Amino acid sequence: MSLYQSSVNKPVTTILIFVAIAILGLFSLIKLPVNLIPDIDTNTIMVMTSYAGASAEDIENNVTKPLESILNGVSDLKHITSQSKENISIVTLEFNYGEDIDILTNDVRDKLDMLTTLPDECGNPIIFKFGADDIPIIMLSATANESMTGLYKILDDGVSSPLARIKGVGAVSIMGAPEREIQIYCDPYKLEAYNLSIEQIAQIVAQENRNLPAGNIDIGSNTYSMRVEQEFNDASEMLDIVVGHKDGAAVYLRDVATVDDRLQERSQESFTNKVQGAMIVIQKQSGANSVEIANKIHEKLPSLQKNLPSDVKLNVIVDTSENIVNTINALKETIIITFILVMFVVFVFLGRWRATFIIILSIPIALLGSFIYLFASGNTLNIISLSSLSIAIGMVVDDAIVVLENITTHIEKGSRPKQAAVFATSEVSISVIASTLTMLAVFLPLTLITGMAGVLFRQLGWIVSIIMIISTTAALSLVPMLCAYMLKLNPKQTKIHKILFTPIDKGLNSLSNGYGKAVDWAARHRGTTVLIAAVFFALTLVLTLPHLKTEYFPTQDNARLSVTIELPVGTRQDITRDLALELADRISSSVPEIRCLNIREGQADSENTIASMQSNGTHIISMNISLISVTKRKRGLIEIGEVVRDILREYSQIKKFNVIEGGQSGGVGGQNAVQVDIYGYSFEKTDAVAADLAARLRNVPSCTQVNISRDEYAPEYQVEFDREKLALNGLNVTTAAQYLRNRINGSIASYYREDGEEYDILVRYDKKYRESIEDIENITIYNSLGQGIKVRDLGIVKETLTPPTITRKDRERYLTVTGIVAKGYAMSDLVEDAEKELNQMDIPLGITWEFGGTYEDQKDSFRDLVILMTLVLILVFIVMAAQFESLISPFVIMFSVPFGFSGVFIGLVSTGSPLGIMGMIGLLMLLGIVVKNGIVLIDYTILCRERGMGIIRSVTEAGRSRLRPVLMTTLTTVLGMFPLAFGTGEGAEMWRSMGLTMIFGLSLSTLVTLILVPVVYSIFSGVGVRKERKKEIKKIKRAALMAANN
Amino acid sequence: MKAIFISCSQAHFEDARTILNQNGARGYTFWTELGGQGSVNGEPHYGDHTWPQLNSSILSIVEDHLVDRILDKLHKLDESAPKQGLRAFVWNIERTI
Repeated sequence: MSLYQSSVNKPVTTILIFVAIAILGLFSLIKLPVNLIPDIDTNTIMVMTSYAGASAEDIENNVTKPLESILNGVSDLKHITSQSKENISIVTLEFNYGEDIDILTNDVRDKLDMLTTLPDECGNPIIFKFGADDIPIIMLSATANESMTGLYKILDDGVSSPLARIKGVGAVSIMGAPEREIQIYCDPYKLEAYNLSIEQIAQIVAQENRNLPAGNIDIGSNTYSMRVEQEFNDASEMLDIVVGHKDGAAVYLRDVATVDDRLQERSQESFTNKVQGAMIVIQKQSGANSVEIANKIHEKLPSLQKNLPSDVKLNVIVDTSENIVNTINALKETIIITFILVMFVVFVFLGRWRATFIIILSIPIALLGSFIYLFASGNTLNIISLSSLSIAIGMVVDDAIVVLENITTHIEKGSRPKQAAVFATSEVSISVIASTLTMLAVFLPLTLITGMAGVLFRQLGWIVSIIMIISTTAALSLVPMLCAYMLKLNPKQTKIHKILFTPIDKGLNSLSNGYGKAVDWAARHRGTTVLIAAVFFALTLVLTLPHLKTEYFPTQDNARLSVTIELPVGTRQDITRDLALELADRISSSVPEIRCLNIREGQADSENTIASMQSNGTHIISMNISLISVTKRKRGLIEIGEVVRDILREYSQIKKFNVIEGGQSGGVGGQNAVQVDIYGYSFEKTDAVAADLAARLRNVPSCTQVNISRDEYAPEYQVEFDREKLALNGLNVTTAAQYLRNRINGSIASYYREDGEEYDILVRYDKKYRESIEDIENITIYNSLGQGIKVRDLGIVKETLTPPTITRKDRERYLTVTGIVAKGYAMSDLVEDAEKELNQMDIPLGITWEFGGTYEDQKDSFRDLVILMTLVLILVFIVMAAQFESLISPFVIMFSVPFGFSGVFIGLVSTGSPLGIMGMIGLLMLLGIVVKNGIVLIDYTILCRERGMGIIRSVTEAGRSRLRPVLMTTLTTVLGMFPLAFGTGEGAEMWRSMGLTMIFGLSLSTLVTLILVPVVYSIFSGVGVRKERKKEIKKIKRAALMAANN
Repeated sequence: MKAIFISCSQAHFEDARTILNQNGARGYTFWTELGGQGSVNGEPHYGDHTWPQLNSSILSIVEDHLVDRILDKLHKLDESAPKQGLRAFVWNIERTI
């Protein structure tokens, strides 16, 4: 018994099977975690090797080069880049996306084990994997007034530790809150007078600050333990330590130094909305779900706030989950709107609510079915999976419509619904399955793409394929079953129904008749029609292609801006702070859309990993700007970014600035930038080329900001000891340098303990004795004989320039010039302009350049997608050829494809949208969808011919009768794309181009298909008929000849 | 005894059977899916791509007095949906075992 027969006979089983799918789907939906994009494994591995004391060039030659040559052999390697700077070499291996990073890590480890040529003093290479998981998910600010001094401890105990206990939370670090330190500031002149040194004082302080167990003693019948508890209970106790003797009298610490219980001298400062405070950065554990963790953190914050001192206020600066949740909600809304639109179209065309209900029912079932797949395969609800659903809604009803339409026809001819349901379904089952196969031919290959696009679109491929399979199954079982029990032979029509639907019906009928006439005319004027179509196609290509812009992914308006500002190296922190506050003032007054503005400046503590990983220094200002949601403001993110850039350009003291829209550069939804890699050994030559290119790009309108990756030579002071003089005084470089360090940076003498916490006790010169070159020259260094020698007698203090980090890519020195695409321009504009400038430039011999970064990713993905498109075209052709058992019919249908492209180009150029990966995917899907209309038309035309009609009558008749279903399926798909193309919710820019591509491509190709495909069909059939006729005539002639001969 | 041969569109099959059952024709043989076409007008029923519809047939041997009643009912059925098509033919039975 066939599927439809049994489902009509067993309505209970059929309904319950689909109810089960729906329930499982709902269960999966509740359990599904939410994320922005599908999980992408990291594709980079870093190898860090330290070599203390080596200069950048030594590191390059002795560490980086051997590492590069051995690591170059790791499979699937895309690029190998490296940084060689003083003391350290960092080699970064970039792999193709989608490779198993664990296997690659093992490969890298094996290769490193084979390496034996590294210098002896070199540390072991350490492997790091850095991925999207390491990006902070939430940044909190904690503003404070009177609690500022103890803020670090307050936050550490009251916020950071409780948050770190939440499941899934990785590191929680505090920035901008200086830690407490006990400073012992010594007066060098007094020290000298009492013949004391920093080292002695540090040693004495350490010896005085002691708790020591002394053993056990027996007293009477008991045993007691004995202890010495002499650790300081208060910092001021230290003042009374005897540090030496002079002329028989004791010298106390207070005689030579002051003790200050205060904060670290140098630290990063953080201001949120101009109030000083600290910043708390929260990272998640690898693989944990951001939205889930963010929710837990938000739940916990009020209770944490309650336990903090009243002046400490916690605020959220950046919450990445907010954007994810808003984007996903916007998409959910889109899906609901799409659903309603599709329902409306179906209702208008069918005019019967029972029929509409039967068709619409297959949508939720198919969608819920796809959630089961998502849940079972460990995926998430993300923009790809949800936009796939939105795309699929318009297409799932097609099969149901075909089946229902045929059942209705038979009922109208007088069949009983129950019987009609079975044999009418049987009649169309083959063509329903064939049209699903064409869709599968498009979507299943999507699961085969490699690279970044593959990671993203594998889900799209699977989801649409699964939805299509479920909807076809439903169309062949649930739909006939419901038709059998719900449709009536002669449904009663109410008055309102008649008033509403009589004009619609009449309109559609006259449209069909008019269209029939048009096809009739075109089929009689085949040459003219084909010529017009060809000219139209050529014109659209000629007119639109030169204006078609391309990009990788659009910049997503996630209401975040991050700004890095560099002042000249060595700018004092107070100057930087003043400027930072002034800038904050200026920016907040020109951008009223700001929700929260956070600034950080100053040198980060080297023990703070997160802070020291980001660029920091007394001359660097970092800003995190959060705006209100895109739906609540008029200006877009890029426009606001331009405003900030304009403000920054006004300050001549700013040496470099980088405004990053979206908080990340490149990738999915990040800032659109064009990166030019300039290769060459000589710093001087490559710097000159980079500077020239940067200057040229600054004058190009498509570029709003240019950054050069290589820093300039940075000024610093060096003490150059004379080895002979050192030797004469019984000293060596290490001892002398250590003395210098202890006086300037300080020597950690011991730890001061309070409430279970340890604080450093730091001994060094008072601040006022280390503020000039003379002060440094006057530092006294003691030799083993106790003789004090001034630095100025041992060497000279001179100002020098340190060379920047040596960066290499694919084993050659390089630097990058990055141009940010200006508002209103696409990436391809800037690429074109940059290429033009580069070709005009006089580039010295030995210097080469190429485009890297996002543009390279774009090129790779486009190439993959074009190959895939060819594959899809071939597969679609094969499916159609099998269905028609002919090579001519699919060839005829394929004529609708080029006009799909014309439509896409017209749509993109007229709306000024660039073609990105999302648009390319839209184009790919279009291939399958546009041929569907052709299949319906040609199938019916062949039917008419087989029923004995002439060619022209067949195409006219087929057109007239098939116009309704073609219009209906096209309208459901096109209108289904409207919310995607014209939505304004958060993240809407991501799928806009996909929506536009589908709407324009499908609309135009349908219009052209309706006329051109019947015409091309009649041309080919005409040729066939003429050949047959000629054969016949020849046969007759031959027969006549033979008869005459006889 | 007379033989009634009913050849009709699939759509009429169930109804035609019901008519036989309700009018005392207990014995019959049927074929649910077969091809055919009418002598006068109507679409052929071949079950192929061109003419996807199919016919069903019933052969029933009934007592003479039942024939008219059954044929009347069948005729009414045919008229209720003439596009579907239903024909019935009657002839004599010479001998049965």
